[in-house]
Amino acid sequence: MLPWWRTPTARRYLFGYTLLAPAVLYVTLLVGLPFLFSLYLAMSDATVGAPVAEFVGVENFRAALESPTFYVALRNTLVFTVGAGIMKGLLGTMLAFLLLQPFKGRKVVRALVVIPFTIPIAVSVLGWKWMFDSQFSVINWALSRLGLIGAWGSPDWPVWLGQPHLALASVMFVNVWRGFPFSAIVLLAGLTSVPPEVIDAARVDGATFMQRFRIVIVPMIAPILFIGTAFDTVFTLSDLSIVYLLTNGGPDGATEILPTLAYNIGIRAGALGRGAAVSLFLFPLLLPAIIVLLRTLRRRQY
Amino acid sequence: MATAVAVPRTHRSKEIRRHTLIYLGLIPFLILAVFPIFWMAITAIKQEPDLYRMDIVPFWFHLPPTWKNFDFLFHRTFYADWIVNTMAISFWVSAITLLTAVPAGYALARLRLPFGENLGIGIFVTYLVPAIILFIPLARVVSTLELQDSWWSLVVVYPTFTIPFCTWLLMGFFKTVPFEIEEAAMVDGCGQLGALCRVVLPVSVPGIITSVIFSFTLSMQDFLYSLAFVSISEQKPVPLGVATELIRGDVYFWGSLMAGALLVGVPVAIVYNLFLDKFISGITGAAIK
Repeated sequence: MLPWWRTPTARRYLFGYTLLAPAVLYVTLLVGLPFLFSLYLAMSDATVGAPVAEFVGVENFRAALESPTFYVALRNTLVFTVGAGIMKGLLGTMLAFLLLQPFKGRKVVRALVVIPFTIPIAVSVLGWKWMFDSQFSVINWALSRLGLIGAWGSPDWPVWLGQPHLALASVMFVNVWRGFPFSAIVLLAGLTSVPPEVIDAARVDGATFMQRFRIVIVPMIAPILFIGTAFDTVFTLSDLSIVYLLTNGGPDGATEILPTLAYNIGIRAGALGRGAAVSLFLFPLLLPAIIVLLRTLRRRQY
Repeated sequence: MATAVAVPRTHRSKEIRRHTLIYLGLIPFLILAVFPIFWMAITAIKQEPDLYRMDIVPFWFHLPPTWKNFDFLFHRTFYADWIVNTMAISFWVSAITLLTAVPAGYALARLRLPFGENLGIGIFVTYLVPAIILFIPLARVVSTLELQDSWWSLVVVYPTFTIPFCTWLLMGFFKTVPFEIEEAAMVDGCGQLGALCRVVLPVSVPGIITSVIFSFTLSMQDFLYSLAFVSISEQKPVPLGVATELIRGDVYFWGSLMAGALLVGVPVAIVYNLFLDKFISGITGAAIK
């Protein structure tokens, strides 16, 4: 009889784990351990310059919770994520139902409307920065020509990135602009997976459009809508480029969000420990999205 | 006979009405999606005085178009270096991703390992741990490796998101390769590794190409890591270079900014566009199928 390590099963396992090892090692070393390391950093007084750090317990978290800037950033993060999420859901659903219809030029239209999502974000934000220019904004030009606002210098001339409420609305708008095609395409994939027979059957049974929508379509696309929203939340919560490039948190903290705060404290000011603590406050916000995604994965597995 | 002619006509006018309604609904979305890109493109080839006129319709040229902004990029900035850096980063990230994700995807799809599913999910979870949580500890890793201010630091960190994504993409791909061709190869005397290399890999070329494309496009979507780790002008990748180096204090070189942004943004957008369905099914396949 063969020793156990020479049996075909054992050899298959050995082969399999050898193949898996590089990927598992890479993500363990550069995602898993750094994540744990960030917990440690958050409880130390580590800075960019000093190689040796001392353990300070929850001091960094306490310092964050005691600073007014942190609450502003937290509130903006929530307003930003929830507000932009709802807008993306609405626009995405409308677009998905339009694209679901058969019509001439559908492929071309689809290719054009997804551009905001596929173009690198740092690149397109620069275009928005120019469109939001305080004096030569093309948006203001159009509004002014339509007679909705006065000429440059008049009191109702909007300075998109310079007025607190407008600035927050503007950065949210760019996030919506970037994300709505993603919502639409994910939903479209979900809608096309609803077999037409099911909808026809409901129609034959006398269901009205709203009933078909509520009883048949919504339950069938709910999981996919969930997944899309969860991914989008992860993307949105972790993206700093829009705010960093458009306003860098200004004017006067009006658009400060946790990612920009973490970057400014951790990298700009070099206080790694305090920056890590601030960025970890994002984790409880991310957790629901991650749980949703994992549960859907599990369901598929078994 | 009269009715036979009339039926297709009403059908046709119905179709026209339907199309008109759909197009009317789509126009706002199209303008929203495309106008910013059009605006960037026209800004890139306008002469500077033409940019700062509020008294004329800005959607067309009032002075002849110019290539001056592109000229400026290549002769007065590090733009050429940034392109070379971006290409080099993409090459190495693709190489690392393929060497790790191809075997891992295959093992997860085929070998029914104990804990295999959990390992697969574990790898996927790392895709969900965002850069914003990892960039501070990774800053320490990068400085320990003495790679700060070098584009090599990005070669080390970008696989943290390309490996999980491509592993799952390839796993789905390998599941579609019929098991019989592998069995046939093994019956013919190939070992398991031989069957993988000689039979499975050749038919998986489309999946592998897709992984390379995503290693490239996902790397191009990054901003945070490059911003945090690379501050030397010559070492930057294109998105970071354009966003940080073409602004002097409060002076924006809008023409060359837009030129530099679009010159890489448009090719990336086109390639990504072609593979978008693969991206969506790569991350959401779980719920759709």
